[in-house]
Amino acid sequence: MKQILSFILNGSPVDVIVTPTETLLDVLREKLGVTGPKRGCDDGDCGTCTVLLDGEPVRSCLTIALTVAGREVLTVEGLSTDGDLHPLQKAFHEHGAFQCGFCTPGMLMSAKALLDHNPTPSRTEIREYMSGNLCRCGSYEEIIEAIQVVAAGEYAPSGGKE
Amino acid sequence: MREVSYFAPTEVGEAVKLLAQHGEKAAVLAGGTDLVAQLNYYEIKPSALVYLGGLDLDYVREEGGKLVIGAGTTIAHLLTDDLIAQKFSVLAEAAATHGSPAIRTKATIGGNLGTASPAGDMIPALMVMDADLVLASSKGQRTVPIQEFFTGPGETVRTAEELILEIHVPLLKGKAVFKKLGRRKAQVCSIVSTAVRLEMDGGVCKDARIVLGSMAPTPLRCSKAEAMLKGKAVDAALVAECAAQAVAESTPIDDQRATAWYRAKAGTALVARALAEVAGI
Repeated sequence: MKQILSFILNGSPVDVIVTPTETLLDVLREKLGVTGPKRGCDDGDCGTCTVLLDGEPVRSCLTIALTVAGREVLTVEGLSTDGDLHPLQKAFHEHGAFQCGFCTPGMLMSAKALLDHNPTPSRTEIREYMSGNLCRCGSYEEIIEAIQVVAAGEYAPSGGKE
Repeated sequence: MREVSYFAPTEVGEAVKLLAQHGEKAAVLAGGTDLVAQLNYYEIKPSALVYLGGLDLDYVREEGGKLVIGAGTTIAHLLTDDLIAQKFSVLAEAAATHGSPAIRTKATIGGNLGTASPAGDMIPALMVMDADLVLASSKGQRTVPIQEFFTGPGETVRTAEELILEIHVPLLKGKAVFKKLGRRKAQVCSIVSTAVRLEMDGGVCKDARIVLGSMAPTPLRCSKAEAMLKGKAVDAALVAECAAQAVAESTPIDDQRATAWYRAKAGTALVARALAEVAGI
């Protein structure tokens, strides 16, 4: 039973025809061409499909697409503004917080949710918050470092903290 | 391609009517952290999805000396709720071990009960408080003590026409803790978990609950071990004896997470630690 789903994707309204068992990840990647969120495990374990739903991190692979009707979804594609990378993106880039990059879209979204809730997290708080995002390359130290430098305000645009 | 219908009722009456219509063929969707994984892997093939997110069941209130928790309350909400922190902190302790932040924002307490995994993180804490589950159907409501709810792995007394509406938690006295052992600290199913509650009068135990997770086909209340403590002065020797008795009541299995042998050893240590902590020894 196909239905029209309307929601806000990265700040813009979208309408898309979906079936009830399609997940948000299916719809983003295969119907809307938004391929930032990756399909890792399809089981909720790996975290690379993480997106923000009304500002809270969720697994897009475990989210039935129709349940996001009328809500706001933010993917890694929506992080930069006017071609300017988000401070977390700059920090991940400059601190080498990835090797293959497959986990990065999910890492960035989890890290954004963390800093939105807690702008000055301790190292332990960062490790706990990021515990649901796996990096097979083992770039965890650099990921923590990148989040720490953003929290310290190093990449904040126009001086203030993001 | 199979046709699946999707319903997002906004009232409980509407939801139970849908469940009555579709029966076994309907899948109840709350946070989806268990259900959608099963859909993704074709482990279940429902013909209807009934999404409960529109029912406003995400609440915690105090009513008549009890906490009333809506079945749709997310694990993230339990972690930050003031009433839970003040009056039922063992549930918040369990919530902190559940999955990871992006799981906790969606996973619900009702879903954890409905999935009925022997490893369900929220269940032991509810069992040490003698919680009651309120089930609703088109015929009305009934209350089931949590002790009688689970009948096997993934199996409960809930019929296909019922939904879990609320959890009623009596504010029983005493101190309770939850402990979980997994392969890592986040995003894991427990190898063994335990919740215990002791009501002490001086050094003497007045009332006790000991519950084990992942050690039997359902979360398990260890009543013989509890009986050993009642009316006794709790010391290190009694704690060790009681922990051994609790594990003796369980029937752990070998699986991909651990062997039965390891579960028995680790479970004994975990229960002993939990008891010592609540007894203050």
